[in-house]
Amino acid sequence: MDVLEKAKRGYLFFDGGCGTILQAAGLKAGELPERWNLEHSEVIEKLHYEYLCAGADILKTNTFGANSLKFPDEGELRSLIEGAFSNARRACERAGGERYVALDIGPLGKLLKPLGDLDFEDAYKIFKKTVDIGVDCGADLILVETMNDIYEAKAAVLAAKESGLRVFLTTAYDESGKLLTGADPRTVVAVAEGLGVDAVGINCSLGPDEMMGVVDGLCEYASVPVIVNPNAGLPRSEGGRTVYDVTPEKFAASMKIIAGKGARILGGCCGTTPAHIEKMREAVLGTEPKPLCEKEHTLISSYTHAVEFGRKCILIGERINPTGKKRFKEALRAGDMDYILGQGLEQADKGADVLDVNVGLPEIDEVRMMEETVTQLQAVCDLPLQIDTTDPAAMEKALRRYNGKPMINSVNGKEEVMAQVFPLAKKYGGLVVALTIDEDGIPETAEKRLEIARKIYERAEAYGIKKKDIIIDPLAMSISAQPDSGNITLRSLRLIHEELGGLTSLGVSNISFGLPKRELVNAAFFSMAMENGLSAAIMNPSSMEMMKSYKCYNALHGMDENCAEYIAFADTVSDAPVQAAAGEKKEKPSGAVQVEKEELRPLAEAVVRGLKDRAGGNGLARELLEMGLEPVEIIDGALIPALDAVGKGFEKGTMFLPQLLMSAEAAAAAFDVIKDWLKSSGAGQEIKGRMVLATVKGDVHDIGKNIVKVLLENYGYEVIDLGKDVEPELIVETAMKEGIKLVGLSALMTTTVPAMEETIKLLHERYPECSTVVGGAVMTPEYAKMIKADRYCKDAMDTVRFAEEFFKS
Amino acid sequence: MDSRVFTYIADAEKLVISEAETARYLGYSREGIAAAGNETLILAAIEKTRRLTAGKGCYGRYEVSYPEEGTVLLPWGEVRSRDLYRNLFPCPEIYVFAATIGAAFDRELKRLAYVSMAEAALLQAAGASAVEAVCDALNEKLERMAEAEGKRLRRRFSPGYGDLSLENQKGVFSLLTPARFIGLSLMDSLVMSPEKSVTAIIGIEDGTV
Repeated sequence: MDVLEKAKRGYLFFDGGCGTILQAAGLKAGELPERWNLEHSEVIEKLHYEYLCAGADILKTNTFGANSLKFPDEGELRSLIEGAFSNARRACERAGGERYVALDIGPLGKLLKPLGDLDFEDAYKIFKKTVDIGVDCGADLILVETMNDIYEAKAAVLAAKESGLRVFLTTAYDESGKLLTGADPRTVVAVAEGLGVDAVGINCSLGPDEMMGVVDGLCEYASVPVIVNPNAGLPRSEGGRTVYDVTPEKFAASMKIIAGKGARILGGCCGTTPAHIEKMREAVLGTEPKPLCEKEHTLISSYTHAVEFGRKCILIGERINPTGKKRFKEALRAGDMDYILGQGLEQADKGADVLDVNVGLPEIDEVRMMEETVTQLQAVCDLPLQIDTTDPAAMEKALRRYNGKPMINSVNGKEEVMAQVFPLAKKYGGLVVALTIDEDGIPETAEKRLEIARKIYERAEAYGIKKKDIIIDPLAMSISAQPDSGNITLRSLRLIHEELGGLTSLGVSNISFGLPKRELVNAAFFSMAMENGLSAAIMNPSSMEMMKSYKCYNALHGMDENCAEYIAFADTVSDAPVQAAAGEKKEKPSGAVQVEKEELRPLAEAVVRGLKDRAGGNGLARELLEMGLEPVEIIDGALIPALDAVGKGFEKGTMFLPQLLMSAEAAAAAFDVIKDWLKSSGAGQEIKGRMVLATVKGDVHDIGKNIVKVLLENYGYEVIDLGKDVEPELIVETAMKEGIKLVGLSALMTTTVPAMEETIKLLHERYPECSTVVGGAVMTPEYAKMIKADRYCKDAMDTVRFAEEFFKS
Repeated sequence: MDSRVFTYIADAEKLVISEAETARYLGYSREGIAAAGNETLILAAIEKTRRLTAGKGCYGRYEVSYPEEGTVLLPWGEVRSRDLYRNLFPCPEIYVFAATIGAAFDRELKRLAYVSMAEAALLQAAGASAVEAVCDALNEKLERMAEAEGKRLRRRFSPGYGDLSLENQKGVFSLLTPARFIGLSLMDSLVMSPEKSVTAIIGIEDGTV
């Protein structure tokens, strides 16, 4: 019988621990246990056999670490996995009965990018190799286990699913009930079920009693069977021996409670023995398994947390989108990732629950841009994303790379589009936004939009996508073009909500297209839409009017306990005076800045004190411009003298790095205001020089380089920042292509100094007219000379001084 | 999983993240700390770091021998290092540990690099102090365990110190497999991820305290 079918009918038992027993049999520290499949096959077979006699239905092969990262020799890898299966099969034959052999896949021991250095696709390929061999060996199912990073689990599950076999996933939670990379049980269930795993659960790290909270979480959200394979408690050392405290009897008692919570595939991990499994089986088999049922939670997730739909309206930030945004288009064309990420982080800060990501422009490579944006955004922001593209290739790339379960924007009632998008949604998982458009366009009545929604649900089901994973967008159209369109959309929302019990989403701001002061209309419409059942809004979280609607709506409908969120929000609405960014103390003028005109003094002081909001935004720089001062006057008369004063203080040791940086940020905020002013008047800003900055190959510490960049930009230099761990070739090519005269390199570790030397050597060979400046924790003037750098700079300020000197000559 | 490796979880509330150490990482002088605003900034960075810190370690206890002067036979092979030899000889056993403050800190640091480099620089320094604090706490636990057996510990010594090559990180990682216990992994460049992490070797000396 199919293993899942069997799990649906009743309890199913895994075997228990292996490592502990092998260590007792003589496995040395650091020795790879998979080698025992051939060297001590009798030990492995005996262990399997004992578990089967104890009543285990499923054996895990001894292949936890059998991957090409640990066994690069493919011949060896294959023979170890083959050995593992023949040991398990022999044991099954001896024991008789219906037994299953699961190809066991453990984590790779490396963190995936961006946290670590293993690329997602490389991880996938490594898992794929193990899976392929396991399939050749006749595995009955695949168990991906002990995963403590949901991203790595995703790579493994994708590879496993392609085998067509049943795939079980168990992850290792820590004492706080989360994976080491942050996901909670709800998040894991969202991702796992999205990827189509057949059973999901927990193993290792904790004993059964410490797992109760996680098991509750899994059973609350999982529609598939839940697996629980605990350790026999937490190990401790006693006279050099490892001891596990939970006896078979205690283990069995706890597992009975766990079965009562709804888990139905049960077994053990480290420290458990055949006796644990036998006792557990006896205890559990006397009870009736809790029935399996479909859980109606609609979840999406990032790598740390899930967002649930159907309660409060979910806010989806719309700002990462070039439509109608000149500045954003420019950023896309220039590949200005800082700007794009900045848009994301700002929306996160303003209270978005999800970020929409649309980076399509006809003249750019959308597939590459989408992949890059999703990856980089996820490195700095933990909100779930909504992948927004009409390009199926970009969609697939993004869904594959995405760390979590995303929203997919969008599908509609056209057969062709559904045939494109639904298979992707089925493979990778996601909550699909479905627009009520079909081959005939957008219907003019709510009833017809409802019909399309109904059709989409049906088609989705045929592709194996559940109704809870579809969210209908009945489309907001401008009331300036068609006076009744507001009514039609609102009625559609209500019908979908009430008649179909469906979730809904809207691009709210479309309603006001063509009208003045659009925010006013948007905000009113937003409240009305929520009243008619709207589940999610694609909107601008920086819009005060929209946020007012949202906060008030929740408070008025009793969805804001003690009105706490409303009160916190109201605090930010009051016309509070500009707050000081640093230190609350009232400071006297520092007197350190010499200014030519008295009216420039407040700005210079604000920069010296690092008051970003006061210097930039609607603050002092703008006031001065509005007073009629020339941009150049403000820059040369206030900003540069202030920066110099702070720079001198830093060099003398009276001011310190954070202050230097805060001043730099304040000045940058003022520069931004001036830049916008210049742009609107058609003038450009003078650039003093252009540099390439990079942290060399092999080095991932880039904080020092980033500090240098901030200061250089402040002083009017254009910086092409190549990031960290940069190949020498890329540095040289960029410098040549851009006609750069000065390249700055940083290295933090002694081991990466050779990479710096190699970069300089290559630069000398291919582009001798370019100079180099180097710095970083391990650099010294002597080292710099040795590797033939033109200049060593001890810190960021020193680099600025050198640049001033260099570009003057 | 190797059941001879043990996990240690640090109590975030009790971690002593040093203000002076944090200031030192930022390049402050002693007087600098007291200057206006600096103390508040550093304390705020330390508190934020404490919230982001999930201090964890894993460790094992192993035999060690000395084939000749300047050479130590570690569980992962023979290593030539005068400095390590001096530090360990003639201890018959060692503890090997890996400790980290976790991935949440790295993520916040990455985010801040886009939002405010000033805050990033402050947090970076506090994070460096925090991982030292986790190491100190773990070290103390190991010390108590050794004392209970009437033994005492030498000072901890990390790959990369003195003439002990960073290559030894590979040995430490294959021995402890810290990815499984504390989510710590070693990149090909021998840099650890999460970034604020430490590995160390500690000699266990026979004899009374």
